[in-house]
Amino acid sequence: MEYLQFLIIIIFSPLVQGIIKKLKANCQGRVGASILQPYYDLIRLFKKEMVFSRVTSWIFRVTPFIVFISTIVAAMMIPVITTKSSFSLMGDVIALIYILALGRFFLALAALDAGTSFGGEGSSREMIVSILVEPMLMLCIFTVAITAGSTNIAMIAEPQSFVLSPSHVLALLAFLIAIIADTGRVPVDNPDTHLELTMIHEGMILEYSGRYLALIEWSHYIKQMILFTLFVDMFVPLGIAHDTEMTGLIMSSGVYLLKMLFLAGFMAIVESTRAKVRVFQIPSIVGGSFVLAVLALLTLIMVGK
Amino acid sequence: MKDWMDLLYVMDFVSIGILITAISINSLSQIEAWIKAYMINSWLLSLLIFFVAVKNPEHHLYVASTLTFASKGVLLPFFLKSIVKQMKKVQVVETYLSTSLSLIISGIIIAIVYVSLGKGIFVTGFSSFVLKISVAVILIGLFIMITRRSAIAQILGLLFMENGVFLAGFSLTFGMPSIVELGVVFDLLMIVIIMGVFMVQIKQKFSSDAADMDQLTNLKG
Repeated sequence: MEYLQFLIIIIFSPLVQGIIKKLKANCQGRVGASILQPYYDLIRLFKKEMVFSRVTSWIFRVTPFIVFISTIVAAMMIPVITTKSSFSLMGDVIALIYILALGRFFLALAALDAGTSFGGEGSSREMIVSILVEPMLMLCIFTVAITAGSTNIAMIAEPQSFVLSPSHVLALLAFLIAIIADTGRVPVDNPDTHLELTMIHEGMILEYSGRYLALIEWSHYIKQMILFTLFVDMFVPLGIAHDTEMTGLIMSSGVYLLKMLFLAGFMAIVESTRAKVRVFQIPSIVGGSFVLAVLALLTLIMVGK
Repeated sequence: MKDWMDLLYVMDFVSIGILITAISINSLSQIEAWIKAYMINSWLLSLLIFFVAVKNPEHHLYVASTLTFASKGVLLPFFLKSIVKQMKKVQVVETYLSTSLSLIISGIIIAIVYVSLGKGIFVTGFSSFVLKISVAVILIGLFIMITRRSAIAQILGLLFMENGVFLAGFSLTFGMPSIVELGVVFDLLMIVIIMGVFMVQIKQKFSSDAADMDQLTNLKG
């Protein structure tokens, strides 16, 4: 039973995206598409035929699979509704971040492979953002891991409480900004446009079509939900089950649903109240939250709480 | 009240807030936002003193808290805002360094302070953590004064330094007698008023947009 909890992330990740889009539309006074729209999009893309450029090599063809599989492996590692998991032995949070980085690396390679200018632009921007975001994620994770005494995510989520201390709040803020930057949300990247001046993620996958595009989009949704789940596990593990009893699992699923809805609402509010910044201002936003993350770790080391 | 203060680390949060408002001005470009950051910094300072006063009931602590709030939290920001209004232009702070670089430098400053003022320092009253934060705020204020061009930004750097000095003295000595604190606050008000007059004069003499201090380098007799 507990082997299968990663299926929750895989199945429901388009739903989370749909909910965010719906809430965002409601915030802006529009009706918006149905919350099931990402599923329809994926089904439609899976039915379409694929077109390849003649100059592409094998990297272009294996990348969707590498991205999708590495994202699923990352999803297997984190506790979703119960901390007891057979994969918990390898559930190391540092490995998780770098498994996600593997997918991102191949995506950037594939974008360069097609030889279009948009692909190169997109991958260079994605690398800039990831250079800034990855150390930030690591610092936040270290802050929490030192308190928990382990880098295993299940062990971090185990204490069953909401730790309120200065270092945790700083790390929480930095992690939220890191999630926004890493999933390509509005102050950093606009996921809805295909405007060449602003796109980061869309620029990289411009050459893909059909099933491969569906795989990449789906793994993007999964990655977003992985980061949300990681956030919940690290900072508010309240209510997560410790064993595999049915009642506990049902209750923790409900709590998990609530937390996801809350995060989706937060993202929608951020997206509709903020404007997208210029590309060259991204380092100053992310740099600010990097200082927050450094402060979190320093505070933890020096104050001890 | 003492119980939940210990439980929720309220004092740690307030002192971290003082540090963060001091760092945040590195990333702000509008001078109004700087004044707001200074205002919040002073409010947090007086809140911290108030919490200490609740923990160790002494009357002069309450007086110091109220005095800080009234002078630095209300009067000075109001005065600075009126000066900015007199300048009649949207004030954008010009800096010699880029935003991210100055943020990183202030991060390094904090790291150096945290490391060099290790655990060995004996501090009466509240935690040695507050002393570290106050020294960091002093150095960040100095850094702001060095790297900003316009006069009003330099004044704000000085005011942040003053807040840091106040906090450092407070964390070491549990506050001076009320009469001394009254004198210090009065001094500060005078300094800011004189500087304000100077600033308006500089602007009128050189008719520059933001009282740029670089133009004073040519003044040699």
